[in-house]
Amino acid sequence: MPFDSSLASECMLRIILNKKATFWLLLSIPALLMLREYGAGNAIAMDMLHPTGEWSARFMIFAMILSPTVTILGPRPWLGWLVQRRRALGVAAFCYAVLHLIFYVVDMGNLDDMLAEFWALGIWTGWAAMLLFVPLAATSNDSSMRALKAGWKRLQRLAYPAALLVLVHWIFVHNNLGPALVHFIPLILLVAARYFLSPRPQTKGA
Amino acid sequence: MRIYSTLILVGAASLALSSAPAAATGAIKCKAGPVSSWKSQDVLKAKLVKEGWTVRKSKVDGGCYEVYGTTPEGDRVEAYFHPVTLEKLYVARRGEVLFRKAGY
Repeated sequence: MPFDSSLASECMLRIILNKKATFWLLLSIPALLMLREYGAGNAIAMDMLHPTGEWSARFMIFAMILSPTVTILGPRPWLGWLVQRRRALGVAAFCYAVLHLIFYVVDMGNLDDMLAEFWALGIWTGWAAMLLFVPLAATSNDSSMRALKAGWKRLQRLAYPAALLVLVHWIFVHNNLGPALVHFIPLILLVAARYFLSPRPQTKGA
Repeated sequence: MRIYSTLILVGAASLALSSAPAAATGAIKCKAGPVSSWKSQDVLKAKLVKEGWTVRKSKVDGGCYEVYGTTPEGDRVEAYFHPVTLEKLYVARRGEVLFRKAGY
């Protein structure tokens, strides 16, 4: 067979796109852009709170809509490709949440001020969501999946209460429904659709 | 069934992609007249710093000047000032209003 350079380059592209590292790089692009602004002095810690939190919620929602989407649409190659990378999406959500927390601490600057507002509905819900994210992220690896067996899936369902906390955190920290609902309504609709439309067993994925 | 599913997916996707206009938090409103008669934010900041405030950031919100910073008493707050008189109108930390001028 003669050497076909366009086929070869397509193959190369496919290999690069399918590399886990490429996906990680993709997930880190928003963070790199934000941190560049911060590093350049165009943004103070306070300005970093919204974008870091928003991207954390986006990746969380992205990870969570995959399996209801598979249930509704049936298996698709592109969905399978994403489901294989779902754990990375979850870990990315956690990493952006950590950045969010770091910038919160930097912005507040001291413990007294953080404690003074701790019991505001928009604040303790954020802390609680972060607390739930820790075991989710800590077990997002092959050895934890093997060790926990069926318990792994049960543990990962903590994502649902965490998502609810994130939603309340977002609404009440801004005293504003719109942007939070724009992000969460797709998740709510898809989870509801899976619940009502599908008698099929859930598709497994990492 | 397939059609319903597709409709739901399309609906969900369009909702996700439509960006809601970011509404101002607007804790209070100042009907302070034309901007040309306003004092500058720098004047307000200088005044606050002199009074013992730390100012992190200021902007216009609800026709008032909104300042994020720390009060002379050491509370981390969000505060609103009248853009013409620079009078303090509203001070709050997250979840708790610390001061609100009567009428606002």
